[in-house]
Amino acid sequence: MTPIISAKKICFEYFKGIKVLKNINFEINKGEVVAIIGQNGSGKTTLVKHFNGLLSPTKGEIIVKGEPTLNKTVAQLSRISGYVFQNPDDQIFNSVVEKEVAFGPSNIGLKGKELKDRVNNALNLVGLFEKRKMHPLDLDLNQKKLVAIASMIAMKPDLLMLDEPTTGQDHAGLIRVENLINELRKDYTVIIISHDMNLVSRVASRIVMMCEGEILFDGEPKKAFTKNALLKKTYLKPPVITELAQSLKGFKKDILTVDEFMEDLMRIKKKKK
Amino acid sequence: MDIITYKNFSWRYSGYKGWTLHNINLSIKKGEFIGIIGKIGSGRTTFCSSMLGLIPHFYPGTMQGEIIINGLNVKKSKIADLSKCVGLAFQSPANQLTGAGTTVEEELAFGLQNLGVPYEEMHKRVDDMLNLIGLEKFRKRSPFELSGGQQQKVAIASVLIMNPNILVLDEPTSQLDPLGTEQVFDLIKKLSKTGITIMISTNNVDYLSRFADRIILFDNKIVKIDTPKKILTDINLLKKHSLTHSNITEVSLRLKKMNLSKKELAIDFAELKKEIEEIMK
Repeated sequence: MTPIISAKKICFEYFKGIKVLKNINFEINKGEVVAIIGQNGSGKTTLVKHFNGLLSPTKGEIIVKGEPTLNKTVAQLSRISGYVFQNPDDQIFNSVVEKEVAFGPSNIGLKGKELKDRVNNALNLVGLFEKRKMHPLDLDLNQKKLVAIASMIAMKPDLLMLDEPTTGQDHAGLIRVENLINELRKDYTVIIISHDMNLVSRVASRIVMMCEGEILFDGEPKKAFTKNALLKKTYLKPPVITELAQSLKGFKKDILTVDEFMEDLMRIKKKKK
Repeated sequence: MDIITYKNFSWRYSGYKGWTLHNINLSIKKGEFIGIIGKIGSGRTTFCSSMLGLIPHFYPGTMQGEIIINGLNVKKSKIADLSKCVGLAFQSPANQLTGAGTTVEEELAFGLQNLGVPYEEMHKRVDDMLNLIGLEKFRKRSPFELSGGQQQKVAIASVLIMNPNILVLDEPTSQLDPLGTEQVFDLIKKLSKTGITIMISTNNVDYLSRFADRIILFDNKIVKIDTPKKILTDINLLKKHSLTHSNITEVSLRLKKMNLSKKELAIDFAELKKEIEEIMK
């Protein structure tokens, strides 16, 4: 199977001499939900901005669905990979929610019923259909983020890249984003960039840990959160429940959820009897 | 001594029908560490803005009641005077960074320059602050060339460097990595011990449970003010306000349901760890 994105030995500098990405190799296949985690300034956003052509590597090569990106425009690439900005205010510019969502698909030539269906489906998926006539700036931060996500969904890309989708959300917002990712994974390949280890541990099928422009780990969540030395180096911490299990005698070290924790507690208790 | 007092304070933004904040009564003692929680749209940011006088002086709207900050009546005082005792770190660093400085160190020095702080002292305070937030490497970079989280650190630092008596932080760690978040909270705790009053809006209950003296729950009014223990273990109340209890409290709750423990619900790590160790004996 051809990977959707394949980055080969890419390097990137915003300014001469300041290496933000160092020799990155990365692939993502259809159906994966990959979480990219790492400290502030480690190059997470910079990396994914390569996948839709917002940035081009200073060295190395990006292959999108089998084709090199070198001569492709952002417009062409964003049909394949859609990037949702960290701050929705960087993305939203229309005065009506449904116009904002329709902007991308109408730019690639969609019209009439087809366009309308796309927009309505995207708004339904994020739960904002009722608010489609509102001004995006009258929405709260949760909802603005969802508008930004909906405008990417409406493009029907293969890959959706969500940059910090839960920043500043309250609990209702967190649950909505988590449900949305679980909905999206049925039809899309997803990359999320996040500092929310609880979210990451629940939704990701694979974790990529970045540190100072390099990938230090790429694998299953269960393995990621047992690598404590590595986590420390990358300014990360395991979810609190994992830390608790790791601090107690006899518990498994790769527990990610409260359910797993309670199960393990009962297992140990039974053994003691 | 009360350093912050709200008396029947209400605020409505012009063009909006309802009160964003209604009938707020509150007194905060000097040196308290206060957590401010509530769902999005509950008026937390408005409340933070009112302590610096941005409300009512900068935003148009209708104000009722009275706010006294550090002895100053907010309605009768200038923002410039209030900002000598109150430092406000905005939610979005883009709103904080002045753009007046071309580098991180100039950005940090900006407020001090305006107050005419002597060059030597200014230099020292900038160095100390860069050290404290771990951004020495970036002192010569433009703040706008930093990552989102690094910008947030610079924004917080530009407030801290002014040595305010009252430090107001609006979701200061929303974009920070986990260790960055811990560093910021540790730093705030240290400042709090020196007698600075801390008002922090965050839904990060794990940290509030460890650090806050009291928590205020907002929903366009004050729903409840109490200790972290009382508020963060009131699961139904939190749920009603779109907030969540921590996984620590969840484990503790399940232990109670299974009759394994009779202790009151735990809110912090050490407390729960001890509880489990006793169960496992």
